[in-house]
Amino acid sequence: MRYIPNTNKQKEAMLKAIGVASFEQLIEAIPASVRLQGPLKVPEALSERELEDHLVELARKNQDFYAMKPLIGAGAYRHFIPEAARSLLQRQEFWTCYTPYQPELSQGTLQSIFEYQSYLSRLTKMAVVIPSIYDGAAATAEAALMALRLTHKNRIIISSLLHPHYLETVKTYLAPHDTELLVLPFKEGLTDREALASALTEATAAVIISHPNFLGGLEDLAAISEVTHKMKALVISVNTESMSLALLRAPGDMGIDIAVGSSQSFGMDLNFGGPYNAYLATKRPYLRQLPGRIVGETVDSEGKQAFVMTLRAREQDIRREKATSNICTNHNLNVTAGNIYLSLLGTEGLYETSLLNTRMAHYLEDQLVKTGLFERVFTYPFYNEFLLRSKLTPAVLKERLFKQHFVPPLEVAQYYPELANSWLFAVTEIFDRKSLDRVVEVLSAKGGKPCP
Amino acid sequence: MSNQIIEGLYYARTDEWLKVENGIGTIGISDYAQDQLGDIVYVEAIEKGQKLKQGEAFTTIESVKAVSDMNAPVSGEVIAVNEAITEDTSLLNADPYGKGWIIKVKIENEEELKNLMTSADYAAYRKE
Amino acid sequence: MSLIFEKSVKGKQGYSLPADRFSDIKLSDCLPASALGSKKELVEVSEVEVIRHFTKLSKLNYGLDDGFYPLGSCTMKYNPRINEKLAALPAFTQAHPLAPPESVQGSLEVMYKLNGLLCEINAMDGFTMSPAAGAHGELTGVLVMRQYFQKRGEKRTKMLIPDSAHGTNPASAAMANFKIVEFKSNENGTVDLKELAELMDEETVGLMLTNPNTVGLYDEGIADIERIIHKKGGLLYYDGANLNASLGIIRPGDAGFDVVHLNLHKTFSTPHGGGGPGAGVIGVKEKLIPYLPTPLVDYDAAKDSYYLKEVGKDTIGKVRSFWSNFAVLLKTYAWILSLGPEGLYAASEMSIINANYLLSKLKEDYQPAYDRYCGHECTLTGREYKKYGVKTLDIAKRIMDYGMHPPTIYFPHFEPYAEETIMIEPTESEGKETLDDFIGIMGKIAKEAKSHPELLTEAPHTTPIRRTNDLLAARRPVLTYDDTLKVKEQ
Repeated sequence: MRYIPNTNKQKEAMLKAIGVASFEQLIEAIPASVRLQGPLKVPEALSERELEDHLVELARKNQDFYAMKPLIGAGAYRHFIPEAARSLLQRQEFWTCYTPYQPELSQGTLQSIFEYQSYLSRLTKMAVVIPSIYDGAAATAEAALMALRLTHKNRIIISSLLHPHYLETVKTYLAPHDTELLVLPFKEGLTDREALASALTEATAAVIISHPNFLGGLEDLAAISEVTHKMKALVISVNTESMSLALLRAPGDMGIDIAVGSSQSFGMDLNFGGPYNAYLATKRPYLRQLPGRIVGETVDSEGKQAFVMTLRAREQDIRREKATSNICTNHNLNVTAGNIYLSLLGTEGLYETSLLNTRMAHYLEDQLVKTGLFERVFTYPFYNEFLLRSKLTPAVLKERLFKQHFVPPLEVAQYYPELANSWLFAVTEIFDRKSLDRVVEVLSAKGGKPCP
Repeated sequence: MSNQIIEGLYYARTDEWLKVENGIGTIGISDYAQDQLGDIVYVEAIEKGQKLKQGEAFTTIESVKAVSDMNAPVSGEVIAVNEAITEDTSLLNADPYGKGWIIKVKIENEEELKNLMTSADYAAYRKE
Repeated sequence: MSLIFEKSVKGKQGYSLPADRFSDIKLSDCLPASALGSKKELVEVSEVEVIRHFTKLSKLNYGLDDGFYPLGSCTMKYNPRINEKLAALPAFTQAHPLAPPESVQGSLEVMYKLNGLLCEINAMDGFTMSPAAGAHGELTGVLVMRQYFQKRGEKRTKMLIPDSAHGTNPASAAMANFKIVEFKSNENGTVDLKELAELMDEETVGLMLTNPNTVGLYDEGIADIERIIHKKGGLLYYDGANLNASLGIIRPGDAGFDVVHLNLHKTFSTPHGGGGPGAGVIGVKEKLIPYLPTPLVDYDAAKDSYYLKEVGKDTIGKVRSFWSNFAVLLKTYAWILSLGPEGLYAASEMSIINANYLLSKLKEDYQPAYDRYCGHECTLTGREYKKYGVKTLDIAKRIMDYGMHPPTIYFPHFEPYAEETIMIEPTESEGKETLDDFIGIMGKIAKEAKSHPELLTEAPHTTPIRRTNDLLAARRPVLTYDDTLKVKEQ
């Protein structure tokens, strides 16, 4: 087998050197009662060419997504990843190596993480940033746990307009603890502020709000921060579309205590849901309650600038059951993916792309409403995702779009049953004017059956 | 291994020392403790007015490779916090019984001193 | 090496956007001024300079393709290139997780088939592909165990964990709000059965065990352990970090484990990525399937199609968004199909032979923690050299000067058997030539320790940087470039 270098002869030589007659002697300690008696019942080995044939055949059972443009976001956004980024990430020194425990052999990884932390700090305007938690959902849950530790209080208020998977994850992480979780209803597509006001008590540890929210709406985070802080509770903001960070008012400028977000938009493919990446940013005084790994700058014994993982005493290998989190391996390669992406786009590129996203989304929204086949469900401001109620039946809408190589938007009724035949559209720079006009044309094709 | 023990102080099993003067207790960590922890980088903030209970953790001390709870050797109210150690945590390593003192408390109940060790007891306890 | 920020010059451009910027759409018509922020300054560098910067950065790293990388329990085995290519097929990489199921049958089939393969390899009844890392899998597993007892109306609050356990075990159990009951290993480095029997009761959820354990030793008491835990109605959790010693040899399900987590980025060859992404999928016995995170992938024979199936009302919920670290699953699937039954067995067999070969050749210079054959990794110690003023840390740093990555040091560290530990896991993808090179290097270092200890205490000498001042990093945390600038000002 080409992944196992030793020959049988070499194997025999090693057994001899060890001093055993056969391999069996080395595993004598395993009781016979639990030993496998025959070979594993998995398919016989495929050659490289056969393996490729098999996977290509499986790939063909998917739609040809590469040639399609997605009108769907809902926590996973297709942005254009420059080829330079893809190429650099293929350097084995980035992706084959281990966690940078030995800094002398890992300055590439460590410096890359430090640079990325610096970017996210500027984008969120928060002093300290954990560059990698598995995804936005886990990051939100970790932020909730962090707030409980910081405040020593046990009540969490969370908006129902969080990404449904994120909300579910927070519930799962909080379930074993003696905490109270209150879910706020929404009104007009935004978190119900009256409900928030009555929910806030002295026992509240934190309020968790998504901005933009799951339905695309922008919340009034500054105002929410104000009322929350009056109750000595923390505000946790959640963002699934990090592209918006370049354009929108930064969490740090709105009084946010802990800002979490999915950074998938910074250089990661959709990959059917993962692996993505998430950041968790906070104010300096909360530094020591942060979960996960962080890289700091120092010097080596000759005074040369060097980077190391630092503040390790918070982590599981040192603090064990008292660690701020159990997190060990995170999604470091996606940190480098994000760094390369942000470095290529730069200040202007990221800003222009972010601007383009919102302009294009508004263009499409307006055009779709003008067809008369769609109507606005809410009137809130949105970034690059918006909700429209359709006069077309779901089957017709999906069929028309698929046929013309567009992935349909999300039917939100599966998460919000009261929003019948309502579709969450997302637009990114993957589109252009021609393709957006085509979407409008395709949906308003003659013979469309409106809903009764 | 560093294990200097000062006479005339009380010691807890968890390696804190206590100096008693007119109902006021000065508290720090022993030389053995700082040696075990290694270079100390951080002490979690303690507030004046904080109420301590004998044997219970009131702060954590962090070194590069470890974090340790610090337990109150006596019950009482914190009346002073050593600002110098927040500026320079190396004092805890260099001078744990002197400049590296951590807090002063108003001792609630001198009967509790019975639960602590004398320097001789502590020397026997922490003998290598 | 200079930071990307130091290469930034206003006016340089690394991005590409079409001419049509939709400037006919006014920003003020899109968003209210109160929602907008100022432009955030990142960098301005050209594409050429970005390529140079990251190429230079990469050369500061030692990667698995550069040579021996024998970190214990990390299973740094070869990352096959064909798996990378197949995971990059655009129909997979551009599949949106919420695309209609009929459009993603290929992706769903990969997940479904992988479940079948992993069930067979581990003798389990069902896997969830949700967890994104080993620790994430541990948390998921522990939450499933918690749910099991909750639904049975049993109040169990404790979790048994040996002192040899990886830190993520107690950390995960604590995140599930269990009280950790830690017990000492016996003088063989394995579970002390007497102590285990005394500690196990009806308030204990069960035991989290790594087998072979973290020092690479099979626990021959495994049948007794199983009996002790199950007799009191507990559950047995398998930390699969060391599964590379077991493929085709022993299956955790056969040994009585109820829950197992696997590290796909260890045993199953997917890349480490410099610290992830990997995946920590967990497998369970039938009785625990109702508690797994939702959804699972199922197959409808009538329709001949795959679909995402809700687990049901007793699910613990979700531990992540969407379904899995799919790209990692795909590489795992490809690897298993490339090896087949013989290959899987050969992988474990060779990893064990390689580790024992190193043990036999190194034990004279480096006292082993335990005097017995090891599994896929061996634990030696550097305590012999303390008297020359040399720590195991110094030995590790000196290995770098010889062009290899050091093994794991100071883990596990449970006194008195394992101190100044050196844990070496060669994996099956190292040839005897490399092992002999390593043995030679370790022999040289042992001699240097005695004759020229400063070569070790001041190592490494030849790497891009020398030893780092970790104390400074922790005392005065500089975590962003803006922090660096602030420090420069002072």
